[in-house]
Amino acid sequence: MLLEEYKDLADYCVREARRLGAEYAEARIHGGKGTGFLLKNGEPQPSMIDDSFGIAARVIVDGAMGFGATNLLSRERVKDLTATTVKMAKSSAPLVKERIAMGDSRTATRKVRVAEKEPVEGADPNWLKSILLEIDRSVVKLEGGAGGVKIPNRIMVASAGVEEKYVVTSDGAKVESRVPRFNYFGILTALKGGDAAQRMIQQGETGGLEIVKRIRLLELVEDEAQTLMEVLGSAEKAPTGIMDVVLSPELSGIAAHESVGHPQEADRILGREGAQAGESYLSRDSLGMKVGSEEAHVSDDPTIAHSNGYSPVDDEGVVSRKRRLIVGGKITEFLQNRSTSSLLGVKNNGSSRSAGFDREPIIRMSNTFVEPGDYATTEELIKEVKDGIYIKSFTEWNIDDKRLNQRYTGLEAYRIRNGETTSLVKAPVLEITTPALWGSVRGRSKRLEFEAANCGKGDPMQGIPVWTGGPDTLLAGVRIVGGS
Amino acid sequence: MAKMMGPEDSNSFGVDVAKKLGADEAILMTVISNERMARFANSSVTVTKNVNESGLVVYLAKGGRRIIGSSSNPEKSSLERFIELLYKSMMSLPKDAGYVPLPPRGSSYRPKPSHDKKLEGPEGLLAGYVEEAIHAAESAGARRTAGSLEAGVASHHIMSSTGTVGSDTSSSILLNIRAFTDRDASGHGLSCSATVRDFRPGVAGERAGSHSKRMRNARQLNEEGKTYQVLMSPTVASNLLGLVGDFASAFSIEAGTSYLVDKLGKKVASETLDLTDVGRGDGCLQARTFDDEGQPTRSTKVVEGGVLKSYLHNLSTAKRFRTKSTGNAGLIEPGPWNLEIGAGDSTYEEMVKEMTHGLVLTSNWYTRFKNYRTGEFSTVPRDGTYLVESGEVTLPIKGVRISDSLERMSSSIRLLSKEREWVQWWEVDTPTLCPWVLVDGVTVTKAYGESPPQGS
Repeated sequence: MLLEEYKDLADYCVREARRLGAEYAEARIHGGKGTGFLLKNGEPQPSMIDDSFGIAARVIVDGAMGFGATNLLSRERVKDLTATTVKMAKSSAPLVKERIAMGDSRTATRKVRVAEKEPVEGADPNWLKSILLEIDRSVVKLEGGAGGVKIPNRIMVASAGVEEKYVVTSDGAKVESRVPRFNYFGILTALKGGDAAQRMIQQGETGGLEIVKRIRLLELVEDEAQTLMEVLGSAEKAPTGIMDVVLSPELSGIAAHESVGHPQEADRILGREGAQAGESYLSRDSLGMKVGSEEAHVSDDPTIAHSNGYSPVDDEGVVSRKRRLIVGGKITEFLQNRSTSSLLGVKNNGSSRSAGFDREPIIRMSNTFVEPGDYATTEELIKEVKDGIYIKSFTEWNIDDKRLNQRYTGLEAYRIRNGETTSLVKAPVLEITTPALWGSVRGRSKRLEFEAANCGKGDPMQGIPVWTGGPDTLLAGVRIVGGS
Repeated sequence: MAKMMGPEDSNSFGVDVAKKLGADEAILMTVISNERMARFANSSVTVTKNVNESGLVVYLAKGGRRIIGSSSNPEKSSLERFIELLYKSMMSLPKDAGYVPLPPRGSSYRPKPSHDKKLEGPEGLLAGYVEEAIHAAESAGARRTAGSLEAGVASHHIMSSTGTVGSDTSSSILLNIRAFTDRDASGHGLSCSATVRDFRPGVAGERAGSHSKRMRNARQLNEEGKTYQVLMSPTVASNLLGLVGDFASAFSIEAGTSYLVDKLGKKVASETLDLTDVGRGDGCLQARTFDDEGQPTRSTKVVEGGVLKSYLHNLSTAKRFRTKSTGNAGLIEPGPWNLEIGAGDSTYEEMVKEMTHGLVLTSNWYTRFKNYRTGEFSTVPRDGTYLVESGEVTLPIKGVRISDSLERMSSSIRLLSKEREWVQWWEVDTPTLCPWVLVDGVTVTKAYGESPPQGS
C-alpha cells in the first residue's frame, strides 16, 4: 500500500521542520484511488480512473503558519518542501498580528478503517456502467405513462473510491485512516411543450459497494424521475403570503447546513474566511445567544456510521465528537480546530478536515442535521397545518456570506389544507432570515433522514463530502412567495 | 527511492507503454504547477502556502473503446502499472458511441516564452504586495481586511501516439481583498494579471477600502420583488455573463443543462453583447496553445451582436454537431479557456447618469440555478451595493438578492463600459476580461424577517 511506503517521509518532514525551527509541525500523506463512470442521455462516456497521492506539510514558525504540498514523494523533494514551508512562514511572521498557536488539544494515536463488504478499490468500471444503464433505462420507461412529459436529458455519474491518510504531528498525533466511499450524482431534465423542470440527485456514503443496494439507488432515482414528471405535468401556481410551512428532511438539512453549521464555524467567526466564503452573523461572544425557538435543535456529528461526512479523528490528529450547535434555540457550541479553540479558550471538538494533500486542513462540517422530534410521522406533523405548504425537495438555494439571508426554491411541494396535502404546487420560494427561520420552528417529526452533498470552502476551494439532514420540521407563520 | 521523470520523458514513456500494450491511440499530458499564496484576515497573515504539483492525464483508445486516467505519480514503474490498469479496464468496456479518432497527423507546438518568469518563484514578492494592498485599503478607510494573494506558473506538456508534441506555460498573479469598517459594511477589490507589470495591489486595496467606508449605515430596501436597472461591475458581470461560456459548451447542450439548446444562430442577448473565448492572447490568465486532445486553441466568437454564433467543442462533440473542434477539449467536456466580453463606449459615470431607479453592484456570490435549461437563477450581492435615483448614487444598500434569468438579463443589456478588467477569483473560474454592464428590468428580492443588529 502506498500509504505504508511513504509514512516515513511524513515522519521525516516533521523532524526536519522541527530541526529548522518550527514550533509546531504536522505532515500528512493523503491520497486516494477511484473509478468513475458517466452516462449522458443513456450513452456511456469514457470511464475515469484517478490515482492521486502526495504529502502536505504544515508548520508554525514565530507564530506564523506555513503550508506546503507536493506529490513528488522523494526524500530530497520533501526536504525542499519543508525548507520552503518553514522559510515562507518565517518571512511572513512580521505581518502576523495575532500569533497562531495549536494549544493543548489532546492528540490521538489511532487507526481508522471503514469496513466494506464489497471492496471499493479496483471497482470494475463496467459494473458502474451497468448500474447507471439500468437506472437510465428505468427512467426512460417511466415516460410512457407521463402524459407527454419526457426526460430527454439524463446525466448520471457513479464513482467509487478510497481515501487514505496518515497524519503525524510534532506533539504526538499519529493517525492512519482508510475510508471507502460510493457516490452518485445525477441531473434529470423533464420537458413538456416549452416548459422544463430539473432535479439534481446526490447520494453518497462511506463503506463498500454494498451501498448501492443499501440505499436502493435504482428505486430512489425512479421515484425522483416520476415526481419530476408529475411536477412538470400538474403542479399549480404556489400561493403567496404568510403561512405555516413543513420542511422535509432534505429542506431541514440544507437549512441546518447553511444557516447553522456555516455561521458556527469558529474560523468564520474569527474572520479567517472573510475574503471568500465570508464571515458570520455571530461573534465570539454569541454562545448562549437565542436564535431560535425552544423546538430548534441542530447538531453536527462526524461519528455516524456509513455517513458521507464520517471523520472520527480530524486532520489535526484530534478525536472528533458530536457537537450540539443549537439546543432549545440557543447557540451552545462552535465548530473548532486546534488554533481557534486555543484562541477562544474552549475545548477543541475536532472539526478540521482537508480535501486532499494539496489543501490545508480547515474547519468543516461533517453531518449537520436538525435533531428529530416527537411527532411520529410526517402526516402527524402536517395535521397541525390548516393552510400551508409542504416542501419536500428544492432546486435553487443560496445564502449571504454572513449566513443571515437565505433562499430555498421548492421543487416537489404540496399545498396543505386542513391538515392534509392536496395538490402539487410549483416553485414556492422561502426567502427568510436565519433568526426568523429558526425562531418559527414549532414541531419536528421522528423521521431522521440524510442527503449527501459537497460543501465548498477555503482558498483554494476545497469541496468536502458531508451529509445534511433532519426530520420534517414545522415552521409557523413564515412568508412564501409563489412561483410563476 | 522512486525514480522521477521529467514531463517530456514521462509523456514519451507513457505513449510507448500504451502502444506496446496495443492501444490504437494514446495522449499523455503532464501538468506542472508551482503556486505560492499568502492569505490574510483581520489585516494579519493567516497562512503562506507553496504547492508544487505534477499531474498526468492519460487518454487511451482501442477498437472504439476509450478510457481516461489521472495520476499524481510520475515515478516510472508506477506510471507503467497505471497505464496497464487503464488498458485492462478499457478492454473490459464495450465500444463507446462517442469515440472519434484523433486526426492522423499530429501537430507540433513550440513553447512560447510569454509567461512572466518573475512568477516562477514569487515567494519573495508576496509580503510586499500584501502590505501594499492592506495599506491602501486602510488608507481609504478600512478598519480591517481579509484576502488572498496567489501567484505562480503552470505548464502543460503533451504527446500523442499520432505525433502531437508540445508544451506551453502560463503565469498569473491574483489578489482578492475584502475590507471592513464594521461587520455589516464591506468592500471588495481584485487585481488579476498574467504578469507582475500589470498587477495593481494598491488599486484593489483602495477600492475595497473605499467601498467599506461608503457602506457604513447601509439600509434595507423598503420595496422588493420589483425590477431595477442594475449596473454590474466587471466582478459581478464576469460571474454572470461568464457563465454563458459554460452554457455554450457542447456538453452542456447535449446534457440539457443549458438555456442555449437549439439557439445556434438565434438572438440570445442584446445586440451590444459580444462574447469570445480566447485560447491564448494578450493578458490571458489561463493561456493555452493546445487543448487536452492536442488540437490548437483559437479565438471563438460565442456571441456576436447578441446572436449565438458557436458552441465550444472538442473532437467528439464536434463530430456529433457536424462541425470542427474549436480547440476547447476537455476530453469529456469542452469548456472555455479565457473569455472576453466586448467593450462598449460608455464611462461608469455616463452609465450611472442613464439610470433612473437602480442598483450598482460591485461584488456578488453564491449564484445558483433553479434550472440550467431555462437559465433561471439567483445570486447574492455583497460588499459595495448602492441605490441610484435619477442618475445619482444615493444610498448604500444591504440584504438584497438578484432573482432573474440569464437569458432575460443578457437580452436587456443596455450599455457596456469602455473600461474592462480581467477577473478571476473564488466566484469566477474562467478568467474573463469584462466591462461594467448596465441591465434593465432586473428582479430584486429580499428575505422575510428581521436581522439581529451587527456590531463590529
